[in-house]
Amino acid sequence: MIGVLLRGVLAGSILSGTLLLYATLGEVIVERSGIVNLGLEGILLIGASVAFAIASVTGSAYLGVLAAAAAGGIAMLLFGYLVVGRRANQLATGLAMMFFGMGVSALVGKSFVGGVIAGLPKYRVPWLSYLPWVKGSTLFNWDILVYLAIPVAVLAWWLLFRTRWGLGVRAVGESPTAAFAAGRRPELLQYQALFLGGLLGGVAGAHLSVSLTMTWNEGMTSGRGFIAIALVIFSKWHPLRAIVGAIVFGGAEALQLQLQAQGAQVSPFLLDMLPYILTLAVLIAWGGARRSAAPAGLGRTFYGTE
Amino acid sequence: MKTLKCIAVTVLLAACIAVAPAIAQDKPTLIVGAIYVGSVNDFGYNRSMKDGLEEMKKNIPGLKLIEAENVPETAESERVMENMVQQGAKLIFPTSFGHMDFALNVAKRHPDVFFYHPGGYKVAPNFGNFFGNTQTAWYPIGIAAGKMTKSNKVGFIVGQPIGYALGNVNAFEMGARSVNPKVQTIVVVVNSWSDKSKEAAAANALLDQGCDILTMHVDSPATIIQTAEARGAMSIGFQSIESRKLAPKGWITGLGFTWGKFMTQTAQSVINGTFKPGFVRQGIAEGMMAVAPFGPSVPADTQKLVNDSVASLDKGFNPFTGPIMDNKGVVRIAKGESWGGDKMGDFDWFVEGVIGQAK
Repeated sequence: MIGVLLRGVLAGSILSGTLLLYATLGEVIVERSGIVNLGLEGILLIGASVAFAIASVTGSAYLGVLAAAAAGGIAMLLFGYLVVGRRANQLATGLAMMFFGMGVSALVGKSFVGGVIAGLPKYRVPWLSYLPWVKGSTLFNWDILVYLAIPVAVLAWWLLFRTRWGLGVRAVGESPTAAFAAGRRPELLQYQALFLGGLLGGVAGAHLSVSLTMTWNEGMTSGRGFIAIALVIFSKWHPLRAIVGAIVFGGAEALQLQLQAQGAQVSPFLLDMLPYILTLAVLIAWGGARRSAAPAGLGRTFYGTE
Repeated sequence: MKTLKCIAVTVLLAACIAVAPAIAQDKPTLIVGAIYVGSVNDFGYNRSMKDGLEEMKKNIPGLKLIEAENVPETAESERVMENMVQQGAKLIFPTSFGHMDFALNVAKRHPDVFFYHPGGYKVAPNFGNFFGNTQTAWYPIGIAAGKMTKSNKVGFIVGQPIGYALGNVNAFEMGARSVNPKVQTIVVVVNSWSDKSKEAAAANALLDQGCDILTMHVDSPATIIQTAEARGAMSIGFQSIESRKLAPKGWITGLGFTWGKFMTQTAQSVINGTFKPGFVRQGIAEGMMAVAPFGPSVPADTQKLVNDSVASLDKGFNPFTGPIMDNKGVVRIAKGESWGGDKMGDFDWFVEGVIGQAK
């Protein structure tokens, strides 16, 4: 009984956690450059609707994912123009981007609602997926975005912490003036970080519509963008710790449904609150300590050297 | 120049006179408004409502239909319906359960506009209530599931745990038990009529627990049926019989709504001035519901059992006849008692054999 529950939660957490991980990685890169993007929910929705639309039209889910990444990147460049180019308030602009994303995605997706697509093909790991405990579940039988999730997290870590570019981005996030004095171009680095964040956000949204649900519905991300923003804090702005966070939160979502399926004697309404209570509990327990880990220049606008 | 002006004005006047009859003919016999909680392309509830309305429109020449999709079950719906009344609508179908109270508010403000609400229970002088007799109709569907399951576990995904939905689950389980005493129905509540990612996750969770048939009471069966088909499980559809297209291998059967006849009758009664709102519950016999065609894997003897059960419902068989015990051992319907259509919203318990929490 416990074995089945554990297996179900693990399987569910990996499926739900993949898109959380991509979204969190994108947001980590963006916040490391000093910009808070509250519009992540909008980026996810744009990614989801574009991916589904392109997959419906071309018949290829992979093209849908690529198109979603591009759309996310472009949307983030727009956000970048507003907060970096025009120096608008980041929090307000982020929220505006969220509504923008909700609207644009509804517009794009409208003619595709109810469409049926083949979805991303799933690949079985040859030996592991036939083990007795694993067989019959979705473990080790995933689409390519799930397999790539952890490598992409490692790549993000390497980019931020082992390259000159990453050093520049982090410097801009800590103190844009100091970075500028050292010869970097803060605005360019921020645009680049935003674009990268947009690519990842678009991919996250694509996974939802083209692999998990194989459908499009207005507002289908149901607040996952905000969970990802909380995960960034939970992971102390570090891509590798984001993996743990994504699995934990993906698991919370899966747990409440698995508990119901096992016949737990708890009201479904209370169980439904589980992921959000977990988010709150984690932020209360670790929020204070984490604040010192935030990039010092987070949320502040760089006014240049005029 | 003056001659040119005269000619121009004459031509314009002539054109207006020629067009005028056409514009006058554009006045519709009746303007009907409809609001949907989701999109009509959902292979589910909203699609069935749209199909019914389209049939009504076809049957009554000169009828104009104003529609609004994705109207949430909040005060926003009141604004949308008010807007439709301003446009001249005399009959409004607020098609989702949660639109009920808001529609009632609009009805109180406009006693000359008629409302027919599906799935609820409130009635007023210009506000009626209709629905398919889903609860009893789920019994034959349960028979199909009971015969087709090999693991004796069937998964049932419920959108919101309202009484009518729980009644569906109960009839389903009772039908399944009547042919297979070992069958259990596992219920997962997703707390939303249309949250696709939760539905996919719930479907995966039920399949992980060993269910080999999935069915549901949510707005659109599409995601759940596709998830089941992808993992090689069987599925039973609800809301729209078109959903069988999504599961070419695993489809067993389904229950769908065919609202067209009722909606045509209602619109005609409004035009004739004979509209009287009531609490209407019609079943398969009256044409409001239909059992979907069977899938390729359903054997002939199972099909016969299901069809026989449907026929017995038409003859008055009521599965909710006591004694019926709930899944905690308490007798809920006493011997000799029987629950009719008006009590279908009162369920807050599950019958024996259902694994799940009703509240």
